[in-house]
Amino acid sequence: MTNPIIQIKGLTKSYGGKRGIVDVSLDVAEGEVFGFLGPNGAGKTTTIRLLMALLHADAGSARIAGLDCWQQSVDVKRLIGYVPGEPSLDPNLTGGQILDYFAHLRGGVDRAYLKTLIERLDLDPNRKFRQYSTGNKRKVVLIQAFMHRPRLLILDEPTSGLDPLNQQEFDGMVQEARDEGRTAFLSSHVLSEVEKTCSRVGIIREGRLVKVGDIADLKDIKRYEITISFARPVPASAFAKLDGVVDVETLNNGSAVRLAMQGAADAVIKAAAQYPVVSLTSYEPSLEDVFLRFYESDGQAPREAAGVA
Amino acid sequence: MWLSSIYLKSLRGFRVPILGWGLGLGVLMAVVLAALPTVLGTPEARAAVVALGPSFAWFSEPIKIDTPGGYATWKYGLTILVVAIWPILAESAMLRGEEDRGSMDVLLSLPRNRTRVALEKIAAMWTALLIMGLLIGLLTFAGGAKVSSDISLSAAILFGLNIALIAGVFGAVALLVSQFTQERRTAAGVTAGLLMVSVVVDMVHRVVPHTQWLSQLSPVYYFNLSKPLISGYSANGGAMLALLAISALSSGAGLWLFARRDIGGVVARPRFFRSGRGGSRPTRAVVQGAWSLRSVYARGLAMVAVPAAWWTLAIAGFAGWMIVVDKQTEANLRTVLQGSSLLRNFVNLGGGDVATNAAILGALFIFMPVMLMAFAVTQANRWSADEDDGRLEVLLSTPQSRLGVLLGRFAALSTATVFISVVTLVVTVVVSSATGLPLDAGHVAAATLSMIPLGLLVAAIGYLLSGWLRAAVETGLLSFVLVIWFFISYIGPSLHWPDAALRLSAFYYYGTPLVSGLPLFDTVVVVLAGAVALGLASLRFVRKDIAA
Repeated sequence: MTNPIIQIKGLTKSYGGKRGIVDVSLDVAEGEVFGFLGPNGAGKTTTIRLLMALLHADAGSARIAGLDCWQQSVDVKRLIGYVPGEPSLDPNLTGGQILDYFAHLRGGVDRAYLKTLIERLDLDPNRKFRQYSTGNKRKVVLIQAFMHRPRLLILDEPTSGLDPLNQQEFDGMVQEARDEGRTAFLSSHVLSEVEKTCSRVGIIREGRLVKVGDIADLKDIKRYEITISFARPVPASAFAKLDGVVDVETLNNGSAVRLAMQGAADAVIKAAAQYPVVSLTSYEPSLEDVFLRFYESDGQAPREAAGVA
Repeated sequence: MWLSSIYLKSLRGFRVPILGWGLGLGVLMAVVLAALPTVLGTPEARAAVVALGPSFAWFSEPIKIDTPGGYATWKYGLTILVVAIWPILAESAMLRGEEDRGSMDVLLSLPRNRTRVALEKIAAMWTALLIMGLLIGLLTFAGGAKVSSDISLSAAILFGLNIALIAGVFGAVALLVSQFTQERRTAAGVTAGLLMVSVVVDMVHRVVPHTQWLSQLSPVYYFNLSKPLISGYSANGGAMLALLAISALSSGAGLWLFARRDIGGVVARPRFFRSGRGGSRPTRAVVQGAWSLRSVYARGLAMVAVPAAWWTLAIAGFAGWMIVVDKQTEANLRTVLQGSSLLRNFVNLGGGDVATNAAILGALFIFMPVMLMAFAVTQANRWSADEDDGRLEVLLSTPQSRLGVLLGRFAALSTATVFISVVTLVVTVVVSSATGLPLDAGHVAAATLSMIPLGLLVAAIGYLLSGWLRAAVETGLLSFVLVIWFFISYIGPSLHWPDAALRLSAFYYYGTPLVSGLPLFDTVVVVLAGAVALGLASLRFVRKDIAA
């Protein structure tokens, strides 16, 4: 990769005897939006906190814009806007005071742009931080991360707690950053969020980076299931060759089918309509389920379907 | 078993304080009693103590102070109130702390009502206090038995029970106050202030005639009515019941309010106490120009400003009050001192007008650095709590070096410490002039300003400990060290401990500056020790993992 803004090589961190991350190596190009995916406890936050020099690595190195994240942390932080996973700020200051404080500490903040961000995310800056809802607390840290137009945004589960409208606004802000040639590195455990925002993803599991690739690779692993019950038995072959169907399993002596899907369900719905349908349930597997399916080789069947469409 | 109920879970959380405070203060009483023959060993020494008693009556009523029980009650009856610090901290956090952490929401999602939850916690607190009282009582009895005193087991246990009751009163008040405050530390600070006010109000009737009615407003007055360690006296059942009633009323009011208010909110204060600000302003602009938001140092200064103002009031106010007391005591004590060289040695005082005034005041001024160091403990706690709560995370994502952040905050604390000391100096000079109590200005300056290195030493040690320990443990340990230092300096000289032992206490290096001026070498030692602690704290902080 030419011109990587983030270079991670063999990064390892443990907490006493407990695993943090193991031998993580990764490059992120300048100008891209990189999604860092993984289930809870996989090591996303540890990696991010190592980049932010909040943790000291046991081994390996992390560089941002060619600067060592630990040795040159102050210079590195001039380039960064950061949203922590669990925002905690002075509860006695108002949102506006917090933003003013961090604007002073950072320097170079365009006040007009700051006001725009406050309006875009519909934040009331006159309330004390302790009085904010979870979503509004998240807005404060998001604004402080974006307000100085940093070259690199490091965002740890940035939309957690935001309502759909504000999530959309956030997507727009990331998009604009990318359009201006800036870089975003965001962690998430929500596939759809990463799918919308990112151009490339890395997947971490149990402290190890298991996959890095374009967003198209994500489509390959994003399967879901449909279970259809009929008033009478139907042949599995009626669904096996349809577009989007990866696997078919018959249930209840043939009067139900469970379909492993990838892609559009249009063909399946049309085929099912040929028979007397009693119910149809759809289940989008959690990321954990995806990991289980793709990274375990013990041949276990996926979990029972849940959720009703 | 310990996790089978809220009561047992809470009690489990109290096991270290029960042992720490119960055994710590119990051993103190045992040691004091066991070593009394060295203080009251000769008829002359006993006579000197008896002669000294009335002059320090403002501090504690002197009754049979030439006996082990009388001496211990006189000298340690008031200082043992330090045990109230723990219930104040614990009960201010009992409900408010759980709300701060968000764990109260989960707790109240259980099929138990709020009153039941709070009652189980209060019951655990009372169990802990009673066990503490029992430990103190048993060890006091053991100390008394060692010197063949006439302190009976029941009297010693009543002594411990009385301590548990007064501690319970201030714990219950902290619980009540915490219903009105958004933060537990505010409730703890207000209640600690009330404790100090109660101590002073109790003193008033022993200094100013016909003010018994005023002192009766203080719970400490009822605590002092019981003197079970003194032969011929006993616990005052009515007074103990009064303490129990104050506790029950305060806890009951706290419970009543807790059951009715919003979780995470506070009880609405009467309109008179509310600030005049209305609702949110419609503007979305960020207000600019506040001095306190311009740097880490300025923000640190703003954070410490309110507590520093209260502590200034307490410390400078205490200094002023001590001068008034000194003025009352001076004439009486001067006569006694002039008549007994032994007594002069006993209280380690000088003679002559200015010197005598300074000597009396110097004996009282030992409390001033203690208070300033207690202030430093609270501020060191704030530093480590900020890390525990994740508040340094975003701050350290700005282009500020870790060292700069630590030193900025420490500089703000240093500024507050200097401010408190300077105001105390000014108040001492003004009050001594106003009351006509002559004091050496240079020595007064030495006495007030040489507290600064002690305060900063404690703060630096707190910062150092926070490099490894969580805020609660760091504060507990630092408070414990402070109490140990205080008692080494308070009881060590009376028990003729060797100089090497006395040097273990930071107060040793404070000396008696009102009498003998600034102990330059010792002050330099404290400054150097503080600088080393701060240096080590900085080294640790720039290298450590920041808590998530």
